[in-house]
Amino acid sequence: MSKKKKRDDKAKDDFDLYAPSGEISSEQSSASKQLEGSLPRPKAKSDESLKQFAWRGFEEDIDEVDADPDVNFTKGYEEEEDGMDMTPMVDVTFLLLIFFMVTASFSLQRSIPQPPSKINEPSTQVAEEPETEKDYVEVIIDQQDRFFITTRFEDEEETPSETQMRAKIRNAKVDYGAERLIITAHVDSTHQQVIKVWDAGIASDFSKIEMKTTEVEY
Amino acid sequence: MSDREEIGGGLQPPKQKPEDAELDITPMIDITFLLLSFFVVVSKMDPTQSVDLPRASFGEAVSEKESVVFLITKGETKDAYSIFRGRNLEDQIKETEPTAQEEEVGFYCEKHLSSHPEVQTILIKAEGTVKTGAVEIVKRGISLSELAQTRQIYVGVEEQK
Repeated sequence: MSKKKKRDDKAKDDFDLYAPSGEISSEQSSASKQLEGSLPRPKAKSDESLKQFAWRGFEEDIDEVDADPDVNFTKGYEEEEDGMDMTPMVDVTFLLLIFFMVTASFSLQRSIPQPPSKINEPSTQVAEEPETEKDYVEVIIDQQDRFFITTRFEDEEETPSETQMRAKIRNAKVDYGAERLIITAHVDSTHQQVIKVWDAGIASDFSKIEMKTTEVEY
Repeated sequence: MSDREEIGGGLQPPKQKPEDAELDITPMIDITFLLLSFFVVVSKMDPTQSVDLPRASFGEAVSEKESVVFLITKGETKDAYSIFRGRNLEDQIKETEPTAQEEEVGFYCEKHLSSHPEVQTILIKAEGTVKTGAVEIVKRGISLSELAQTRQIYVGVEEQK
């Protein structure tokens, strides 16, 4: 039944293409009326009669004919002419594109610049107190990876967490404009702790970050 | 009466897209393929990314290709570490004495910089769990090289989101 309805719609579309304006269609229908003679027919019926050039049996028979696969030949032909369905291919291509865009590293390495190590100065030397005013923050990383922070107001206070260390460095910069950050790391401290302090220094916009290593235990 | 008459003025049939006309996606697919092939060529599956770098938020992007690279990985025991020349975990410095290691690092730096004078950066990629002392050995070794004095030293980090 639905197939028949589809066909009727299609027939109507075709009809409209040939006669875009309402006038012509009415003209045609009047002409058909004249040809048909005096038989009064509803308009819809006349449209149908224009499209269906041959009598195709009774209503019930038409349904049966449509259900026959042999008669559906034209429909199948149209689908074949559409060509291969490219949607999955495009999907996969987009996935690949996104994957390679994300993984493309351009062989660039994120890194932190470091001052060169002073070779003349033995690394075992204890860090001497700079003579200038305490416009600096000193972070000591001991052999057990603990942070000790010396600022103008506090002397070597242990700072257990990374968050506190970051906050203290930030405060020293904001409160009294400390410009230098001195990192004194024990040789047995881990590299990542040094990087954490260095990163905090960059985050707080210190203009000068120095680093030295020591073998003095705390 | 109908829309078509209003648009076309009734003089000529208006050009109207058929209702089943779809957007032509062919150029889009073409460009997508171009981009895809570009990224396939550019991106390299880097097998050297086995070093577990420390995390930091404020790293600068440095071209690994145009640098003298040293890798430092942690050994099995607590204090053990290995220093590698270059970007791969192949060319290990065999010496165990820190002084000898420093000399090896300095020698490699000098050799690499004299054959590639355009290289401006020295990159140390050390695992986060490596001791600061091991990184310091490499840094001091770099300072031994005359040519390295004018180059900038970097330590590799992994970007923290």
